[in-house]
Amino acid sequence: MSTPASSSTIGPRGGALATASSERPRRSAATWLAILFFAGALLFGGIALALGDVFYLRLATEALIFGGLALSVDLLLGRVGLLPLGQALFFGLGAYVSALVLKNWSDSFWLALGVTLAFSAVAGLIGGLIAIRAKGVYFALISFGLAQVLSKVVYNTRELGASDGIIGVPSANIMWGVNSATPSGFFLVVLAFIGALYLVLRYLMDTPVGRQLDAIRTNEHRVSFLGEDPWRYKLGAFVAAACIAGCSGALYPMLRGFVSPELMFFQVSGNAVINVIVGGTGTLIGPLYGSAILTGLRSVVGSFTTHHHIVIGVLFVLVVILMPRGLIGYATPALQRWLDARRNQKENR
Amino acid sequence: MSNAMEWLQFVLAPQMINGLSIGVAVVLMALGLTIIFGLLDVINMAHGEFYAIGAYLAVALLATGMSFWWALVLTPLLMAVLGFVTERGLIQRVFHSKDRHTLTLLLTFGVAVVLEDALKIAFGANPLRLEAPISGATEMLGLFFPNYRLFVMLFGGALIAGVWLLVFRTSLGAIVRAAAYDRNMSASLGVPVQLVYAGTFAFGVALAGIAGVLLAPIYSVFPTMGKDFVLIAFSVVIIGGMGSIKGALLAGLLLTQVQSISSLYISPVWSDPLLFGIMVLVLMWRPQGLFGKLGSA
Repeated sequence: MSTPASSSTIGPRGGALATASSERPRRSAATWLAILFFAGALLFGGIALALGDVFYLRLATEALIFGGLALSVDLLLGRVGLLPLGQALFFGLGAYVSALVLKNWSDSFWLALGVTLAFSAVAGLIGGLIAIRAKGVYFALISFGLAQVLSKVVYNTRELGASDGIIGVPSANIMWGVNSATPSGFFLVVLAFIGALYLVLRYLMDTPVGRQLDAIRTNEHRVSFLGEDPWRYKLGAFVAAACIAGCSGALYPMLRGFVSPELMFFQVSGNAVINVIVGGTGTLIGPLYGSAILTGLRSVVGSFTTHHHIVIGVLFVLVVILMPRGLIGYATPALQRWLDARRNQKENR
Repeated sequence: MSNAMEWLQFVLAPQMINGLSIGVAVVLMALGLTIIFGLLDVINMAHGEFYAIGAYLAVALLATGMSFWWALVLTPLLMAVLGFVTERGLIQRVFHSKDRHTLTLLLTFGVAVVLEDALKIAFGANPLRLEAPISGATEMLGLFFPNYRLFVMLFGGALIAGVWLLVFRTSLGAIVRAAAYDRNMSASLGVPVQLVYAGTFAFGVALAGIAGVLLAPIYSVFPTMGKDFVLIAFSVVIIGGMGSIKGALLAGLLLTQVQSISSLYISPVWSDPLLFGIMVLVLMWRPQGLFGKLGSA
């Protein structure tokens, strides 16, 4: 199993050490970091429930939801090498579709999620057909433009509540009497959702399809020389990313009870990219760490000043300059070295 | 027949002239973007924020009692210093890594986030108004046009011509084009490439700043003013061809004309999707844009 860190798209490649040592069948550093994340989240949920807290539980749920958006960005940036600057388009679309379903049709969690999935797939296909034609920076700019245009249209459409968005979205019924209005129950549901997403993505990345995406990022020309059509894989990844972002967005109105056009704005797309880069591009678990850490940081800094963007922005610039592989991108090889050293010690003893 | 003439005179012509005054500013923005990309391969995501800073600098300088004309001269100089420092202090640090495209884009995006919030801290989030320095209107073709818009057109037009001459008719421009064409060869011929990079970035930022000053009295000044405006500049650069000066000029004037003429018929809400649709169509037909890059033209 390969450590995802060894295939980070930016910065120097992961180095021979991480790749070579990760061929072992034992649990890799990436797995340990993933276990740490989800165990930590469960522990957090347990403590919050015991203390009867609502605010931090809701905040953590929001962090996980934005973590889903970050995962979709990581799929495109870390795997295919496409930088999406407008992923909030699909996140916001999912949020609106889910809010409309919950408000007008039924309060079923599964119906809302299913309808959102269908809409996201169609939107992803349309968006992909437009954006995938472009390469590199052109793709970044076109995805930026797509989101900017659609958010403006939504902002000015009275049927969708214009600048106010849709308020008073009823909470969603999930199953066994669990409702999205229960802070701890919904936290667990979202955690399970994100966990499943992570596992599926991680599994997919080790299949031939995932390797094909890696190959496209590394050298797209060579992939077409080998008789494969990169376009189909890129489009597939784009649609998948749109579905992930859309379904994550679908959870948002269930948590907060409203949607607003701000969810489609550049700020959301930008924050998702920041979460991915700070956490570690291409590591899959890094974006989740990034979302958790930065959502927490935004909340903490935000309680002192309304200008938390400048703090996050400075942090982001420093990460890009000083450690472009992100927190997990550096932590994984370091942890792996430590694990290997310990294992060797044991074997030699 | 007379109906058509009247429509031409009273509906179409004023719309086109208004569009032209915006178009000149858009071209200045796009020139900055395209020159920076042509030479450095850097997509400057902070370009819109530099435009906003130009407008705010004008507001701040005018508040000290300075005249608009001095502000118009001083702002680009200050902006050039800011651009120079940004290039040397930040962009150069990631410039030599393998994934330069992505890293510099992310870096300038981070700079944009910081600058936008800095503007909010310094000036507040509410829109500010700037008084037009030239009042009154001039009669042309039986219609009155605000003098300030005419000034923007003439001044901006002269500036664009100046940029053109500078890049294509001076030895300084030849150095920049040579560095864009082959960095290593230019360096071995004694061109101080690092300095040329920083200087070019500063120049592009200064152009964005001037566009900000020029449009400040026409639009209101607010911290996110760059976000909306930079999208059209990006479209212009993509359609014209990344790094092409000719392309930025033609596409800039064409797109702003399309925008202002279409606003006669459709709600302005739909003018962005329209421009974007044009961009997508052009990209399908010519993925590299209409014209080639800086060093090759």
